[in-house]
Amino acid sequence: MTHFELFSLEPSVDLDVAALEAQHRKLAMESHPDRVSGSDPHTRRLAAEKSAALNDAIKVLKDPVRRAFYVLELKGVKLDSDQAAAKVKMPMDFLEEIMEQREALEAVKATRKLESAHAMAVQIRLARDRTLELAQQALRRDEVETASTALGRVRYYTRFLEEVDAFEEELQS
Amino acid sequence: MKGYLQIHDPLKPKGSVVGIDLGTTNSLVAAVIDGKPTCLPADEGDGKLLPSVVHYAENGSVVVGKYAAQLLPHFPTDTIKSVKRFMGKSLGDLETKKLGAYQFATGKGVVRFQVKGGQPVTPIEVSGEILRQLKRKAESYFAGKVEQAVITVPAYFDDAQRQATRDAGRLAGLEVLRLLNEPTAAALAYGLDKGVQGLYAVYDLGGGTFDISILELVDGVFQVKSVGGDSALGGDDFDRAIVQKVLEARGITEPSHAQVASLLQLACGAKERLTDEDSVSFDFEGAPFVVSRADFNAWIQPLLAKTGQSVRRAIKDAGLTVDQVKGVVLVGGSTRVPAVRAFVAELFGKPALFDIDPDQVVALGAAIQADLLTNESRKDEVLLLDVIPLSLGLETMGGVAEKLIPRNSAIPIAQAQVFTTFQDGQTGMDIHVVQGERELVADNRSLARFRLTGIPPMAAGMGRVQVIFKVDADGILSVAAKEETTGVEQKITVKPSHGLTDEEIEQMLLDSIDHAEDDMQRRMLAEQRVEAERLLMDGAKQLKENGDLLSADERKAFELQLARLTEITKTETNHEVLKAAITEVDELARPFVGRIMDRAIGKAAVGHRMEDF
Repeated sequence: MTHFELFSLEPSVDLDVAALEAQHRKLAMESHPDRVSGSDPHTRRLAAEKSAALNDAIKVLKDPVRRAFYVLELKGVKLDSDQAAAKVKMPMDFLEEIMEQREALEAVKATRKLESAHAMAVQIRLARDRTLELAQQALRRDEVETASTALGRVRYYTRFLEEVDAFEEELQS
Repeated sequence: MKGYLQIHDPLKPKGSVVGIDLGTTNSLVAAVIDGKPTCLPADEGDGKLLPSVVHYAENGSVVVGKYAAQLLPHFPTDTIKSVKRFMGKSLGDLETKKLGAYQFATGKGVVRFQVKGGQPVTPIEVSGEILRQLKRKAESYFAGKVEQAVITVPAYFDDAQRQATRDAGRLAGLEVLRLLNEPTAAALAYGLDKGVQGLYAVYDLGGGTFDISILELVDGVFQVKSVGGDSALGGDDFDRAIVQKVLEARGITEPSHAQVASLLQLACGAKERLTDEDSVSFDFEGAPFVVSRADFNAWIQPLLAKTGQSVRRAIKDAGLTVDQVKGVVLVGGSTRVPAVRAFVAELFGKPALFDIDPDQVVALGAAIQADLLTNESRKDEVLLLDVIPLSLGLETMGGVAEKLIPRNSAIPIAQAQVFTTFQDGQTGMDIHVVQGERELVADNRSLARFRLTGIPPMAAGMGRVQVIFKVDADGILSVAAKEETTGVEQKITVKPSHGLTDEEIEQMLLDSIDHAEDDMQRRMLAEQRVEAERLLMDGAKQLKENGDLLSADERKAFELQLARLTEITKTETNHEVLKAAITEVDELARPFVGRIMDRAIGKAAVGHRMEDF
């Protein structure tokens, strides 16, 4: 069963997140292991599995970035690992650009300047949002190749942002 | 007894269920009675707060609670306090000096306290004693069995700490229905009792742990959005900040165990008095030490700043900003400190809620959850959805931790990972599971190492083992594995890095059942001995200070009685005989007490015991 099917939805990049969360609460009420805490181990295990599947699904579907990747995956292109992503050819100029930005981030990390890292993150987030928009448009039109390249870029941007977050936490701990 | 009729209730064949707050400083037990969550008597004298202190006596008996706390200054190494801070830890983890005057048995793995009267004890056993006492008190309240409980843990407890808590419950003979996160328990109490709805933060500062949880309460679903905290930060650290200043001021660089123990007690008292007073003074080694509230506030500021960092991170993890949080609930005794309240109010830009007693709220929430889990008619009322507090990861090449399940993922959760063989004919594989947010394995907490065996021999890269990591609703990890091409289930032997194996727990359980009757006798005897010793001490003191109030004959009779009690205390092994002897001396002292009272305040004392003076 796909994440969309769990919620009786058609695969789509466009979702009403508030409605999705309300439905998740309703389904969780029915299937959480706490509902069957007095039952036999088999029933309890099934409830735990159903619950885990729901939790996994909501995590993917409520986040527009993950949702886009998942819709693409349902169209046959998986970008969830380095190996899989390597199969999507990225334009050379983009790779050069991202390499430069990562080098800049490494330099900032060496000087431990959080503000500079934040400033870079703001730019990257803007680029990511714009590129995600392109990917969503492509997915709506079923243009798998365009969507793959766009999401390939989004993947690099997301990695970059995660690294800034990790840097921030490292500084605080 | 009040709960007498409930043992005949056919809907509760397994006896009554309770909620337990197993705290660093105090522990509580609560139950839903006539639809209302209520804290039950937990200590001798029916106090609701059971000091989480366990004393091990030379004769092998164990004393828990306020009596144990009284023994602490006299037996600092045999009386374990704040044991929660040792749960799921091994010796290498601890700034041992910081945590008291204990002596540890050497060895690998779980911490063991070297105490009088037998084998070294693990924190799991010490916590088990506290739980056993709570179970006993609840059973005497209900006049019936109590075999199931919801036990609370700090949201920020890692897997090893949770396992240790669940094992302690098992040792105490309790089926642990659920390990419930403390802030979630508090939210449950507020949500049901005060009708709180929307996005809330729970700021929980206890004796030894700090938790922050961001929750959304909608349509009966309590959904935790994120948690954060520090499982080694609490009111104890406030006390230590004061102790530190005293030692500095007195130029003591290497304090003795006794000095530290007595200073910690003085500091704790000073901290509590500073809630209502602007300045307090206490006597240490014959000279006064003065602390103003302003001093104290300044000393704890760095600790508060640490909690602020956790709060900001939790709000960020929830994908929110601070102004979206509708309210903040205060939990834990340490939130009585005015500086803490002021800090929280400023952090959130709104005054905090503390309508429910911050000491009781967690136990009350646990009682509600226990009732929800076992009471058929309440099943549709409420649901708690919690998260995993720290990321779970695996060791990869070069000692790097690869995140498998990120922190703040909703639980229960399952995540599969495929491992391929890298050698021809490889039949086994080692896997190391870690918990934490850092990049390197060495900076995270090692949870378990296990070996996958029984992979059919194949060419390198052909053997593909799918390992499924599951985190249950208690936040505890379990692992299953299957070879993909052949479907052969793999055997997994998990070696917990900081806990006890199931076999060890089983053995302890058997031992404790064997000795249950003995333990009971010994405990009651130990309690009576404490009582007798206190009476003897008071008696001697009063004879010295007010002996002139007695005639020569009276004095002689009283001294004789005290001498007899001294002897009985040393030799008697039947607690009932000892109790009778205590009552006798107490009766004899009554007129004497009256005269002392008259002298002291010029009024007749009626019904007082000597120890009241």
